[in-house]
Amino acid sequence: MRSFPVRLVAPGFLLALGLSACGESESACRDLSEAPFCVALLTAGPVSDAGWYAGAYEGLLQIEQRWGAQISHQQTRTASEYDEAFLAYGTEGYDLVFAHGSEYQDAAIRAGERFPETTFIVSGGGRIADNVVPLIFTLENGSYLAGMAAGGMTESGVVGMVGGVRIPPAEGVFLAFEAGVKAVRPDAEVLETWIGTWDDVAAAKEAVTSHISRGADVVVHNTDGASFGVFNAVREAADAGDPTWAIGMNRDQNDIAPEVTLGSAVIRIEDAFVEITEAWRDSEIGGAAYYAGGESEVVDFVANPAVMDRIPADLLARIDSMRTAIRSGDFDPPRVPFIEGEEGYEETGAGAGGG
Amino acid sequence: MIRARWWGPFFAIGLALAVTSVALALGGYDVPQALGALWRGAFGSEQAIASFTLKRSVPLLLTGLAVALAFRAGIWNIGAEGQLYAGAVAGFTVGFVGGGLPAAVVIPAMLAASLVAGAAWAAFPTVMKLRGGTNEVITTLLLNFVAIHLTAWLIDGPLQEPQGVYNETAPLPESATLGTLWPGTDLHVGFALAVALAVVLWVVFRFTRVGFLIRAVGEGPEAARIAGRVDSGRLSAGVFLASGALAGLAGAVHVAGVDLALYPGLSQGWGYTAIAVALLARLNPLAVIATAIFFGAIQAGGTSMQRVAGVPLAWVNVIEAITVIGVLIAARGRSRSGGDAGAPEAA
Repeated sequence: MRSFPVRLVAPGFLLALGLSACGESESACRDLSEAPFCVALLTAGPVSDAGWYAGAYEGLLQIEQRWGAQISHQQTRTASEYDEAFLAYGTEGYDLVFAHGSEYQDAAIRAGERFPETTFIVSGGGRIADNVVPLIFTLENGSYLAGMAAGGMTESGVVGMVGGVRIPPAEGVFLAFEAGVKAVRPDAEVLETWIGTWDDVAAAKEAVTSHISRGADVVVHNTDGASFGVFNAVREAADAGDPTWAIGMNRDQNDIAPEVTLGSAVIRIEDAFVEITEAWRDSEIGGAAYYAGGESEVVDFVANPAVMDRIPADLLARIDSMRTAIRSGDFDPPRVPFIEGEEGYEETGAGAGGG
Repeated sequence: MIRARWWGPFFAIGLALAVTSVALALGGYDVPQALGALWRGAFGSEQAIASFTLKRSVPLLLTGLAVALAFRAGIWNIGAEGQLYAGAVAGFTVGFVGGGLPAAVVIPAMLAASLVAGAAWAAFPTVMKLRGGTNEVITTLLLNFVAIHLTAWLIDGPLQEPQGVYNETAPLPESATLGTLWPGTDLHVGFALAVALAVVLWVVFRFTRVGFLIRAVGEGPEAARIAGRVDSGRLSAGVFLASGALAGLAGAVHVAGVDLALYPGLSQGWGYTAIAVALLARLNPLAVIATAIFFGAIQAGGTSMQRVAGVPLAWVNVIEAITVIGVLIAARGRSRSGGDAGAPEAA
C-alpha cells in the first residue's frame, strides 16, 4: 500500500488514541467553575435569528446573569447530533439541558433514562418522563386577547386568519383567536387559510389579499418567515385606501408595519426560561408538562403603541380585564390538546392531523 | 522539493492546526481552549472516540466507498446523497412495517431494501449515461434534490407520526434498530459492517478479475474494450448500480443505528463530503476507512468547540473546511515530492 493518506491519517489516529489514554478524564462542568449549577441549550437554528432561537439564547444568558450558572450552547445540524449533544452534556454533569424544539423529544427521552441526575426541558415537546419536561408556551392566551382586539376594531365584521402548517398547536392558536373575536363581536365572520409552509412569503400575501377581497379588514397570521407577506399585503391594501389592520404573532412585530399593525400576540421565551429554571430550583417540575404563560407575563398581547390613539379606550379596558381573568385562572381560552396526558388528548391523532 | 518522509503527516497536521488557529484568532476565540476542545471532542475519551468520531464516520465511510467504487470505473456519481436518502426511506419503511419480526429477519430485510433503493435511485442516471450519453454528473446531482424533497414530503405526509403534530416519523421498533458494537458507547454495529465492506472492496479491486476490469475500464474504456474484449457498458452499469446500492445502505444503517426515526434533512451532506473522503483516500477502499474517520473526527471536534469554547456553528463549519483544505494541500505537496501524483493508483 503506497497510498499516501493512510500514512497521513493513520499515525495521527494512533497518536490520538495513545494521547487520549493518558489524557485527563471527562471533567464535570462544576469542577471547572464556581457555578452553582450548569445549564446547556440546544437549538436547531442560529441564535442570531431575532426570533425563536434568539429568545432561547437570551433566556440562557439571563440564567447565567441571575444565578451565575455555567452555560453552554450547541447548534445541532441534523437529528444525528441530538443523541451526541445530550450524551456530551450528560457526561459532563450538566444539571439542566434546554432542547429548544419538539424535534429533540425522542432523543431527550433516551437521554433522560441515561442521565437521571439531569433535567431535560423540551420546548413544545409532547413526551414526558420524570426528568423530561415539555415546556409549553400557551400562545392561546395572547391569541385570545388579540382576537378581542380584532373583534373590537373590525368594521366589516369579517376577520381573516392565515396560518402556516395545519398542526394542532397552530390550530389551537386560531381556535382561541376566533373565540376572542366572537366574544366582542358575536356576529363576526372569521376566514381561515393554511398556506402549508411557515416561510412562503408570496403564498401568505396571496392568502391575505384574498381575505381582504372577501371583506376582511383585520388579518392575523401564525407563520414564521412568511409573516412579511402578511404585513405587505395589509400595507398595500391600506395604501390603496382600504383601511385594514394586521396582527403580529409569536413575537412583538409591531414595528414591521407600524402604521397598520394593531398589536402582536407574543411569547417572551427568555422569561419562560427563567421561570422554569426557578421552578426547577424549587424542585417543582418533573413528570408533567410545564405551561409557561398561564399566570405569568410570558405570553401576552401587546397593543401597538404607534396606533394606541385609534383603539377605543373601552376596548383596551376590556382586554385588560380579560388578561387579568386569564392570569388569575378565572378564564381558560380554548386550545387543541396535543400533549401526552393532556385533557382531551387521544393516543392516535388529536386534531385534524398533518398536511 | 525535498522528499518528504516520516515527517509528512506531521507537516500536514501542523499546517492544518496553524491555519485553524489563525481562523480562530481572527474570530476572537480562545485558541488554546478551542483547540483543546477540538482534540477532546474527537479523541479525548472513550465516548469521544466511539460515540462521536467513529459513529460519525459510518455514513462517510459507506458513501465514501460508493464514490470510490464509481470513480474507479470512471463514473462520476455525484448522487450518493440522493441514493442515501432513498436507502434511508426504504430501510425505514421495511423496518417500520416488519418491526414485529425478530431482528435477525427484519435487519437484513431493511439493509437489502436500502441496497435495492439506492441502486434504483442510480438506475435512471445509469440508463441515461449508457443509452443516451447524458452526463451522469448532472443527472445524479439533480436527483439528489428530488430525493431530499421527496423524503421531506413523505415525512410530512404518509410517513408522519400518527399524532400528525411533529415533522418526523414514528420511531423504529426495537427489533429494527442496530445493536451496540462498543459496549457503553453509542457506536453501533454498522461501523463493523462498513469496515468489512471496505476490506471486501479492497480485495475485489486487488485480487479479482472484475476488480482488474473495473480499473481497466476506468482508465480507458475504449482500450479495455479492444484489448480485453470487455463489455465496458455492462461493467459500467453494474458498477454504477453497485455504487448507488452502497450509498443507499449508508442511509438504512444511519437510520437504524443513529436516528431511529426519519427526520427531514437527515444527512449533513455526507454524500458530497464522501467525494472528498474518497479522493483524499486516492480511491483506495482501505484508505477510505482512515479518511472517513479523519472527517468524522474533525466534525466531532468542531461540535465540541461549540460546547466548550463557545465557537458558533458558522465558524465551526469554516474551520472544518479550512482543516480539510489544509490536509488536501499537504497531501498534494507530499505526493508531488513523493513522485506518485497523477491518476488514482492501483491498490
